[in-house]
Amino acid sequence: MRYAEWCIAAPTLEADIAAAAMGLDDIGHSRVLYGSLRELGTPDAGTDDGASYANVPFLDRPWTDWSEFVAANAVLDSAFTLMMEALANGNVDVLRTRLKKMLQEERYHTLHGRSWMQEVNAGAALERAWTESLQWIGPENSDVDELHRAGRLAHGVRDLRRLLGERLDGKTPPSGLEWGGWEPIRRRTQPGGIDQATLDMLRGLAEKRYMPAGG
Amino acid sequence: MPYTRVHAEVQEYDVFARKTRVEPLHQVGSVVAPDDNLAMAYARATYDEERWVEMMIVPKAAIISLWAPGGDT
Repeated sequence: MRYAEWCIAAPTLEADIAAAAMGLDDIGHSRVLYGSLRELGTPDAGTDDGASYANVPFLDRPWTDWSEFVAANAVLDSAFTLMMEALANGNVDVLRTRLKKMLQEERYHTLHGRSWMQEVNAGAALERAWTESLQWIGPENSDVDELHRAGRLAHGVRDLRRLLGERLDGKTPPSGLEWGGWEPIRRRTQPGGIDQATLDMLRGLAEKRYMPAGG
Repeated sequence: MPYTRVHAEVQEYDVFARKTRVEPLHQVGSVVAPDDNLAMAYARATYDEERWVEMMIVPKAAIISLWAPGGDT
């Protein structure tokens, strides 16, 4: 969703198109993941209010600077992709088969993010995205490590942190992670949530304005 | 032709693709990028609307032209 907001605002025409394409990719990936969850017996998460909507704080508000797009693309997208890889290489059959195309598409997100990371000094945004990515992966010896021990995830927390650092060309990771207030469901420490306008669009309320009366 | 862009240096890449193994690759367009990786990401984002079995990019500077419209023959 945030990618799509930049489809006419990126620094070059090619980056505009890439933003739109990556946004579409990620909507498709969400559909695959929700479908997989349903098949695994997990009901859809409630999205009726912002407080229950699970997203990293970096996505709470629209980005106001291209460096935020770059940080999200290079860091958050890489963290999500690493988790998808860990699921695709785990022992859950549904995920082993469903996530392959997603990972092929994510390869191009990674190329895009890494190249722009070389072009733009995304300093503060990069550090913030990295911190939130590590919080999203979670603390050691929590659910991610339990799933790793059960074979459902091919990597545990330490591996995921290390691999994320490698994807970011060995840049220095943020230090002094704080876990106070960490929410295990929303996987974040900061209170708050996604802005109302975006939430309304995600719930399809924006489209409802165009429906005929009683539709 | 030099490009005035946000990147310090960019180059143009031609994009080639084909839909079946039996047809030859043909040029489907071009992209401008500062490096090969970004050029790959741009080519895939811009020209992936068809079900290509193969896509590749070539730096335009690597293409050696023998003749072209408007040139001396």
